[in-house]
Amino acid sequence: MTDPIRKVCVIGAGVMGAGIAAQVANAGVPVLLLDIVRDPTNRNAIAEGAVAKMLKTDPAPFMSTKAAGLIEPGNIEDDLAKVATCDWIIEAVVERLDIKHDLFAKLEAVRRPGTAISSNTSTIPLDRLVERRSDAFKRDFLITHFFNPPRYMRLLEIVTGSATDPAIVAKVEAFADRAMGKTIVHAKDTPGFIANRIGTLWIQLALNAAFDLGLTVEEADAIAGKPMGVPKTGIFGLMDLVGIDLMPHLQKSLTETLPKDDAYQAIARSIPLIEKMIAEGSIGRKGKGGFYRLNPDMNRRREAIDLATGEYREKEKATGPSGPAAKGDLNALIATEGEVGDYAWGILGGTLSYAASLIPQAADDVVAIDDAMKLGYNWKSGPFEMIDKIGAANLVRRLEAEGKPVPELLKLAGDRAFYRVENGKRQYLGLDGAYHDIVRPEGVLRLEDIKLASQPLLRSGSAALWDVGDGVATLEFTGKMNALDGDVMKLIGQAIPLVQKSFKALVVYNDGNNFSAGANLGLALFALNIAAWSEVEKLVAGGQKAYKALKYAPFPVVGAPAGMALGGGCEILLHCDAIQAHAELYTGLVECGVGLIPGWGGCGEMIQRWRDAPFMPKGPMPAVAKVFETVSTATVSKSAAQAKELMFLRPDDGITMNRDRLLADAKAKALALVDGYQPPAPPEFRLPGESGHVGLNMAAQSFRKRGLATDYDMVVSDALAGVLTGGSADLVDTVSEQDMLKLERDAFMLRVRDVRTIARVEHMLETGKPLRN
Amino acid sequence: MRNTVITGYARSPFHFATKGELARVRPDDLAAQVIRGLIERTGVDAGDIEDIILGCAFPEGEQGLNVARLIGLLADLPLSVGGMTVNRFCGSSMSAIHIAMGQIQLGAGEVFVCAGVESMSRVPMMGYNPLPNPALAAKSAAYMGMGETAENVATKYQITRTEQEAFALESQHKAAAARDGGKLADEIVPIQTKKGLVSEDGTIRADTTTEGLAALKPAFDAQGSVTAGTASPLTDGASAVLVTSEDYAREHGLHILARIKSVGIAGCAPEIMGIGPVGASTKALERAGISVGDLNVVELNEAFASQALACMRDLGLKPDTVNIDGGAIAIGHPLGATGARIVGKAASLLKRDGGKYALATQCIGGGQGIATVLEAAE
Repeated sequence: MTDPIRKVCVIGAGVMGAGIAAQVANAGVPVLLLDIVRDPTNRNAIAEGAVAKMLKTDPAPFMSTKAAGLIEPGNIEDDLAKVATCDWIIEAVVERLDIKHDLFAKLEAVRRPGTAISSNTSTIPLDRLVERRSDAFKRDFLITHFFNPPRYMRLLEIVTGSATDPAIVAKVEAFADRAMGKTIVHAKDTPGFIANRIGTLWIQLALNAAFDLGLTVEEADAIAGKPMGVPKTGIFGLMDLVGIDLMPHLQKSLTETLPKDDAYQAIARSIPLIEKMIAEGSIGRKGKGGFYRLNPDMNRRREAIDLATGEYREKEKATGPSGPAAKGDLNALIATEGEVGDYAWGILGGTLSYAASLIPQAADDVVAIDDAMKLGYNWKSGPFEMIDKIGAANLVRRLEAEGKPVPELLKLAGDRAFYRVENGKRQYLGLDGAYHDIVRPEGVLRLEDIKLASQPLLRSGSAALWDVGDGVATLEFTGKMNALDGDVMKLIGQAIPLVQKSFKALVVYNDGNNFSAGANLGLALFALNIAAWSEVEKLVAGGQKAYKALKYAPFPVVGAPAGMALGGGCEILLHCDAIQAHAELYTGLVECGVGLIPGWGGCGEMIQRWRDAPFMPKGPMPAVAKVFETVSTATVSKSAAQAKELMFLRPDDGITMNRDRLLADAKAKALALVDGYQPPAPPEFRLPGESGHVGLNMAAQSFRKRGLATDYDMVVSDALAGVLTGGSADLVDTVSEQDMLKLERDAFMLRVRDVRTIARVEHMLETGKPLRN
Repeated sequence: MRNTVITGYARSPFHFATKGELARVRPDDLAAQVIRGLIERTGVDAGDIEDIILGCAFPEGEQGLNVARLIGLLADLPLSVGGMTVNRFCGSSMSAIHIAMGQIQLGAGEVFVCAGVESMSRVPMMGYNPLPNPALAAKSAAYMGMGETAENVATKYQITRTEQEAFALESQHKAAAARDGGKLADEIVPIQTKKGLVSEDGTIRADTTTEGLAALKPAFDAQGSVTAGTASPLTDGASAVLVTSEDYAREHGLHILARIKSVGIAGCAPEIMGIGPVGASTKALERAGISVGDLNVVELNEAFASQALACMRDLGLKPDTVNIDGGAIAIGHPLGATGARIVGKAASLLKRDGGKYALATQCIGGGQGIATVLEAAE
């Protein structure tokens, strides 16, 4: 066990430094944020301003407003001595060696020996950074290169020097991994490290090829986006997102620091249109627009820039590749005749062979490079995973045919793939020509690993049950978007006796980016269109039955959501004994958005939670009003921390910062509940009845008046209010959980038959956005 | 008939609910400090106080139970002093004064503390458990939100948004000038909070501009004219006046601010509750045997600029007599505390500026008005 990090200091309150500080605070750890003094009347103005700005930024750097309170703003002149109370100092000041040297000299005088010091530099070699520093300083020093925005980008590149103490590295890594949720990739001390080096070349290749081939930005992005599995924005869209002005900085630093014979030197060129755009402030979404923009003078018309003339014109829909080439078949894509294939090959041929040339120069193995590109640039597949799709031998043949250099690693691979599965283990091809197991860090458990080595205990069209060891079974959703349907509910019914017989506990989890998008609306719409009302009602009743069976099962059930858990995906969590959530949890009961109300037990579960919260006022209305407010507005949490505020999570539910550790943490939580486990007793409710219903409707009406709700919103929220207030129950009646389920079902069935609900469902399926009818 | 006089007025500083400096002060503590301050400033013998009559619009939670009694105990008043909580929403603490006057007439006491309190931070408007009667909700606007009633008044009386904003701007400027001129300091009892002593209002926005007001979005109706700038803010505050028989005041050398000449209550349609002061004031003026032209000082509660303007127009009030030191749009409107504030303020202004007659009047949710006519007691 390494020394824990209890307090962190970040120096430099720019976008990166402030964002890093916010993520430390998100982990619940206090952080000192320092910057220079610019305003003598408020010496902490820069750091304070950074925190204030972050509280207004969307997507939010903070997971809760409480986290902001953990940042202590200060300045370098008055507060530097406070670094003695910190266990890790992160330097994130401007990329100038003289300034960093000056700061490190000052830090050397005030820091406690053994305090880790790292630089967030993206361009300066480690050896240069520690010039003139003591041996003790060098022992504690490393580079920790975060990606923007630090809360959301999971990659952390770590570079160590020959003098760096492994214990210091272990301390920083343990914190960055477990508390900050980062996946660590070890990079060598070479220019641009891994992700930016490959990423910059990739972007440059894509720009060059687009200009050379005379493509439009739409055409280019239709090829380089979704079909390649890189961010679906494509290259031009991506540059608008990250800022076009970043490009010349990266280009300059790489051309200055990379060897003259590096492949990047040959393709780096400045593009006049981009220079002009930067000069005019058209630097992307943070500026006046970039390659794409919404024209404010033409009613926010979507426009794209003409790469030849530099003039904006209306955005056009580009057709892009078709057939297998559009669906991830990279061989088909690069083999496509004409511009599509030429453009794809122009990018992929150069990028993939460059990646292969960087081992062992910049990274130890293919896994490091693939992780870096997936987690630092949001590529769906890493370069070597893409090479496996094409076939290393195919790639070599084409490079040779074009007289291009072929990296040794590609020759070494020959007909072999970079990844294979052997004896239930995923392996990668090493530089020694042999395959090695991919070793997960201790405490990391992925369902994909378990699936390679075993068969499911149960499987249906949209769910499966797995043995994840130690007497714990895992229920996995497997449908598109992990949507929920009758098959899931049926499998839950089958799983319960099986888990009861052969296991100690159940975890509801999947490896997906999103836990569940909720009920399968496509299926529901089909049923609605053929007026199969009894089928719909069966689905509602079946879901209620399955979820309540989970709730009252004689073993602990732990939900382990990450990403979106919406509608029915939220309701299953409400029925678990406990939750272990990934910190990035976006959960809510969003049924009203499609003209429905929660129908799988969510209404009663939410009332019970709010009612039982110790801080709630007494009486029949406060809990009901809170649930009404949250559900009628389809409120979705923006983090697990916020999900606690909204009561979708209970106060003692766990939060895991590192996505890869979620299943292991959930498993541990489930096992901790096993001893002496007793299923909960069914709740009884005292609800306000018609009076409360009238009160909620009045609140909704004032929303309507203010223009915040539509006519049909009134109908839907009236239905919700009816359920939440207990229907015709009187204040003195006791309403059972079964009564609540019946109210839910009846109200759901009334709404689902309404053409306005059907219109909402259709619109959601077509556009992914709610219809405001 | 025995005369009833106002012999003291004090209030806490007023602060925005939730974000203001009184948000963490319990309403019972707040009122107790104000009452202590009133007793010290007037020099009345606390043993002579018959009763504390305290108004509160949402008497629940920390301002629940019979909070008037609890406040008396918190303020360390003699155990012989009684306590009664009254609720007439915004008119609560003006009603407390009317009740005291009645008691004095009855011969049921000589000295009364008439107070009001509302922590809109700590007890929500509508209370924790709003449970409207469905039958009444269906047939009347009894439960209509106050913002909507202000819109209704604006429409019915054709008060434009520009007029409302000009009125609000003036209220802010008058209040700021009064504060800067030290004219509010005498009435304010500094309040001890966990963070220190709070001795100034936190609600006044001296930097309000015409442009700033014009840029605000409608607060209650997307198509409406009432904004947060032309409505009184949610406020925390407490107020108290000392009400005694004139005989007692003279016997004990109390400083008489004004004599209560007459009072009035009148109901009106709930959906235009803001017009309530018209009926109530008309009655009270008639009972006093005077006309609007006789008034030197008017305290007309500014729940909303639209209703205040409509009432001024309907009653024919002279603008330069109305809310001389600013009104609730600037100073704030802690519901239960406002009635005692405006009666105390009107009495103080009569004394300060030397007029003959004053009127204090306000509208009340649910459709009522309440009014008090004061006369100078030479």
